[in-house]
Amino acid sequence: MARSAGKRGKRGKTGLTRRAFLKGIGIGGGALGSGLLASEVVPKGGAKGSAVTRLGPGPVPITLKVNGRVSTVHLEPRVTLLDALRDRLDLTGSKKICDRGECGGCAVLLEGKPVFACMMLALDARGRSITTIEGIAAKGALHPVQEAFIAKDALQCGFCTPGFVVASKALLDENPRPSLDQVREALGGHLCRCGTYPRVFEAVLSVSGRPARAQGPGDPGRSA
Amino acid sequence: MARARRLRVGYEGTLKEVELQVPETEPPIWDAAARLLVVGQSVRRVDGPAKVTGAAKYTYDVRLPGMLHGKILRSPHAHARILSIDTAKARALPGVRAVIAFERPDSFATVENEDSGRPIDEAEKKEAAGARKRHLLFAGEEVAALAAATPEIAEDALDLIEVKYEVLPHVVDLDAAREPGAPKVFPEGNVRKPEVHETGSVEEGFKAADLVVEGTYRTPVHLHNALETHGAVARWEGNRLTVYASTQGVFGFRDDLARYFKIPATDVRVVTDYLGGGFGAKFGAGVVGIVAARLARVAKAPVKLMLDRHEENLATGNRPSSVQWIKIGAKKDGTLTAIHLKSYGTGGIAGGAGVSGPVRTLYACPNIRTDEQDVLINAGFAMPFRAPGYVQGAFAFESALDEVADRLGIDPLELRKRNYTDKPAKALLQMYETAARAIGWDRRRSPAAAAAARGAVRRGFGMGTAVWPMYGGPKADAKVIIHSDGTVECICGTQDIGGGTRTAMAMVTAEVLGLSPEAIRVSLGDTGTGMYSPASGGSVTLTSILPAVRGAAEGAREKLLKTAAPALAAHPEDLELRDGRVGVKGGGKSIPFAQAAGRLQSAVISSQASRAENYQGAGFDVWGAQFAEVEVDTGTGKVKVLKVVAAQDCGRTINRLTAESQVNGGVIMGLSFALLEQRTMDAATGIVMNPNLEDYKIAGTLEMPEIVPILMDVHDPANNVGVKGLGEPPVVPTAGAIANAVSNAIGARVRELPITPDRVLALLAGKEA
Repeated sequence: MARSAGKRGKRGKTGLTRRAFLKGIGIGGGALGSGLLASEVVPKGGAKGSAVTRLGPGPVPITLKVNGRVSTVHLEPRVTLLDALRDRLDLTGSKKICDRGECGGCAVLLEGKPVFACMMLALDARGRSITTIEGIAAKGALHPVQEAFIAKDALQCGFCTPGFVVASKALLDENPRPSLDQVREALGGHLCRCGTYPRVFEAVLSVSGRPARAQGPGDPGRSA
Repeated sequence: MARARRLRVGYEGTLKEVELQVPETEPPIWDAAARLLVVGQSVRRVDGPAKVTGAAKYTYDVRLPGMLHGKILRSPHAHARILSIDTAKARALPGVRAVIAFERPDSFATVENEDSGRPIDEAEKKEAAGARKRHLLFAGEEVAALAAATPEIAEDALDLIEVKYEVLPHVVDLDAAREPGAPKVFPEGNVRKPEVHETGSVEEGFKAADLVVEGTYRTPVHLHNALETHGAVARWEGNRLTVYASTQGVFGFRDDLARYFKIPATDVRVVTDYLGGGFGAKFGAGVVGIVAARLARVAKAPVKLMLDRHEENLATGNRPSSVQWIKIGAKKDGTLTAIHLKSYGTGGIAGGAGVSGPVRTLYACPNIRTDEQDVLINAGFAMPFRAPGYVQGAFAFESALDEVADRLGIDPLELRKRNYTDKPAKALLQMYETAARAIGWDRRRSPAAAAAARGAVRRGFGMGTAVWPMYGGPKADAKVIIHSDGTVECICGTQDIGGGTRTAMAMVTAEVLGLSPEAIRVSLGDTGTGMYSPASGGSVTLTSILPAVRGAAEGAREKLLKTAAPALAAHPEDLELRDGRVGVKGGGKSIPFAQAAGRLQSAVISSQASRAENYQGAGFDVWGAQFAEVEVDTGTGKVKVLKVVAAQDCGRTINRLTAESQVNGGVIMGLSFALLEQRTMDAATGIVMNPNLEDYKIAGTLEMPEIVPILMDVHDPANNVGVKGLGEPPVVPTAGAIANAVSNAIGARVRELPITPDRVLALLAGKEA
């Protein structure tokens, strides 16, 4: 019987899934990437005498602070922040496109910094302030980045748009007047299949008050 | 009954009057003389706010009460026979609500008894063992499916399904599959009968040639990778089925389900409110739609089945690979005398790999022969992919033409002009001129100068031509409703794949009713509307539905004028709708639109229209021209595209803003195909090595050139709006233009895509050897 590696065509040669890997090291890759090493790495077998709490494998209560609202959800420790947001909190704006940190569709802000929610376990986000695409617009008013995305048509099918908007806002929060190259760099981890990048550049630069190029307004495609 | 009408047609500088036979029921045609206020402007997408706030609900975002999560078990083997499937352990896992095994050959053709949800008993197992067992033809083909309370339980349960396979020999390499002793994908063999077309005689054509050039070009398998994967959410209420589906054709999806489950079309509703791309891979219900509905029926609960990225890249479609041998004969002055194309390619276990469209349509040549052959391998099937066949074909043909031009010492643009086909409504010469000026074509170095260049970073220029037939036509229906409070709905079942269909529908309705597009509420993506639309493929969506939308809006307008006339003490024919008011023409008395509608009391105006046939003698191909400037680092082999100018016609431009976005998108997809994308398979194991978005490279922000879309309005109305298709043409010439620019930069001919640094270095080394 062929039940070995490659079953379902989903596993690599090691037979280890990404999620199993995350489980194994007890931390989200997003947190690793951001240098936000969590305090709760659980050593296998538990550390003698230390105040380590073992969670799971069954559902555990996890309290998340999302868009200023505190909610407690019951989920297995292996559940990513992205799945928790989407499947438990019905915040479906963040998209799962690759589920392995390759596309940027699930970008959210963690304490104001962009992270890929698919690369982080929900439990690692406990106690931190999370802002999703649903929390970018202040009550009733779009954020200037959102206005600019609409005005410059920086979207087509719109599936990648939440990730781009979140990352663009994060960039402008950090650097209100980025250059075109800085915009390219900041959004380098985001994929769009319809092909809207030039207009994304233009949208972000228009918020910063920097023209994309020495070209007149009303010429939104001619950027980059 | 048709009636002759005089219309103003052509494009700026060439406008003239023609007489066309037009159905009597048609409103005044929007020809070159039409003065429009909304249509043709740059209008923000009406669904922009929903898309930038995350409020837009895609199929992937649908959550229904009590909804389960489905998953599919896929074959790890490139070729195998299923001996047995044991689902007992998976069924026993708490939270698992339905398990279906696809072990019979006709698993997706009929509804099987395993739909009852009970384990298959011993007697059934014996019977199944005697029956023909299902062959799995590629790694990633569906073996079983299940639904569970959470995605995590579903994933765990998949690991509990035990499958015994008889592994069979496979072949995944295109050339290996053509060898006589290759493992057979189907008993009939791996190579289909060639498709041969000949006009004139290439034999005679080559005799008449002063120069004959031949070369072989290769393109890889190209994966769609729409960002929303294939998927569906299915819910049964008794025998009625509702499916939220990620599809570019809601009506086709519905009909597939009705046929499969043998239930009336009236009992199936398919909804696609927002769609995260398709590019040709999302026609029909497919396995995903059928499996979602089957799981939901077994579980007696709604089921969501969305594929992951890995599955998406194994089993949902591709653009076939190609190997194209092209031989071109030409006179000294560049006149083409013969073209012979011999090609083969593979779309996996199914799908045509033809590439001859560009050779047969782009330029004039009296003698053309094409021999095209499909090769089958143990890999996922092909699906149409944005300008199927044309993208690969144009790369090879435009490259071969540049070789002819270089050898004859003729400028490539001049060579194309010398083989120009003059056709009605073709503004290509003007687009060549505009685009060449915009790129600075006069900066292109001659092949001799390029070959002698010694700088580390070299620049080059290339160009190519876009052509796409004007498809689109009946049948399409639309409805416009005016409510007594003055609000307006425009309804068509069609789906918005991302091109801006919603906004275009709003614009046409607004134009007719004298309102702003934001004032129109558009409903689409729902077979329940009963307003038919073809699938969004072949660049037909707006071409098909907008004439129906306009007809419906015109009907509503007429009724509203009748309603308003007494209040204005005027005849309806003396009234007009403008700036949100109903008024007497010529600046007379007027009342607000809503006040006029208020005269309906609680009634509504409801107006429905169907699209008329395309008018005879109008509606010719759309054309475009693209010019690329690239920079090649001869030390690293890296190609950087600096600028692409894309001139394109789409008949009448509806929304300049979104149309330009679509042109940008075509260029970017073509650039990505030219430089980065290729599915890679391992010959020994028969599996796809890069079914993800890291190893399968898609162009991102860092690869973006400056893109200059230039839309040209060509008035050639075959319908009352004058719109033609735009989705596909802008992707046709990009790869060829870029390849030609690279060849021009390095002084050696690019013959294989993608143009990766190693290939560029090999070309440079070969040149110096």
